[in-house]
Amino acid sequence: MNFAPFKNESDAVTLGDLKIENREDQIAIYGRLTLTRDRAGLEAAKALKELFGKIVNELENGPDLPIKVAAAEPPKKVKNPFGQA
Amino acid sequence: MAQFSRLQAFVCVAFVFFTAPVFAAQDGCSSQLYRGTAPAIQTEALAGQTHPICFSEIAVLYSGISRTPLWSAEHLTPARIERARSLPRLRSNAFHEESRVPGEERSELSDYRRSGFDRGHMAPNGDMSTPVAQEESFSLANMIPQDPCNNEVLWEGIESAVRDVALSGDEVFVVTGPAFLGADLQSLKGRVLVPTHIYKAIYVPSRNAAAAYFAPNDDSQNWETLSIADLETRVGIDVFPQLDGKVRRHAMILPAPTPHFGCRLQTSEASQQRSSQGR
Repeated sequence: MNFAPFKNESDAVTLGDLKIENREDQIAIYGRLTLTRDRAGLEAAKALKELFGKIVNELENGPDLPIKVAAAEPPKKVKNPFGQA
Repeated sequence: MAQFSRLQAFVCVAFVFFTAPVFAAQDGCSSQLYRGTAPAIQTEALAGQTHPICFSEIAVLYSGISRTPLWSAEHLTPARIERARSLPRLRSNAFHEESRVPGEERSELSDYRRSGFDRGHMAPNGDMSTPVAQEESFSLANMIPQDPCNNEVLWEGIESAVRDVALSGDEVFVVTGPAFLGADLQSLKGRVLVPTHIYKAIYVPSRNAAAAYFAPNDDSQNWETLSIADLETRVGIDVFPQLDGKVRRHAMILPAPTPHFGCRLQTSEASQQRSSQGR
């Protein structure tokens, strides 16, 4: 699984209908996932464990963990270049 | 009302098509488009600095002005969605910049950094039936800055509802894109325009019926149904130029979005009314 938590803005993991998207300031996890009591369920659970292990490791051992992440940079207001003349 | 529609139809015919992006026959992109015909841009300002990009399962028109797609088109068949669902459950992909877009007009990963916006797929990766097509769908040429609650709940639910139409046995032509409405807009880093609204238009040939989901790019979970003609008036793009007038003017009842869970479960009155009508 290619996923370097908080290290880039590109890594994306899909697990069934669950999406995990990496950013430098946050990781988004959304969608849904059923862990069935079978081999597929075990595989998915292990993948989640690996992923969360990486995330916890980075948060615990990465440098300078702040109390609270910096707020998002607000977008700039611009004139609509597509606006009707 | 009927008179107004006739007038609208007349005005539409009088419009000039500013671009007709041509996808080469051998690249296969025309198969993503209803009768091989690309959506027609009808607002002159939208047509500037546009680039058609052909992926294996998506046809895109990218704007170097907004640094987003203007539309992403897909042809969903039951077989395609079955193949997409039979891909391995665990997949790794990477959001990436689109090398086919000229450097200055290309959206970059850094444009979205710490923006508070998701990189929202227009053609969703859940529709892609091969590993190559999956990876291609993560191109920033297929992405808009999307409100996270919209992307992760409402829009996810709309994508899922459209896939269900194909899974139930009907092929579907889908065109998805942003709308940039109003005098002022927001812009990420002064480079990537934030759409005010998002649309997903569908045409189901077996029912000869079409309509579009139209939603504000915010966390309200509100959406409305538009006919293809009304979508054209609002957005300035004729998404299905090959449809006849009656189909364009009559909005089919769209399947209710099937989101996994809610950030804010407030739905518009119109949405609730539609939901109660069922599918």
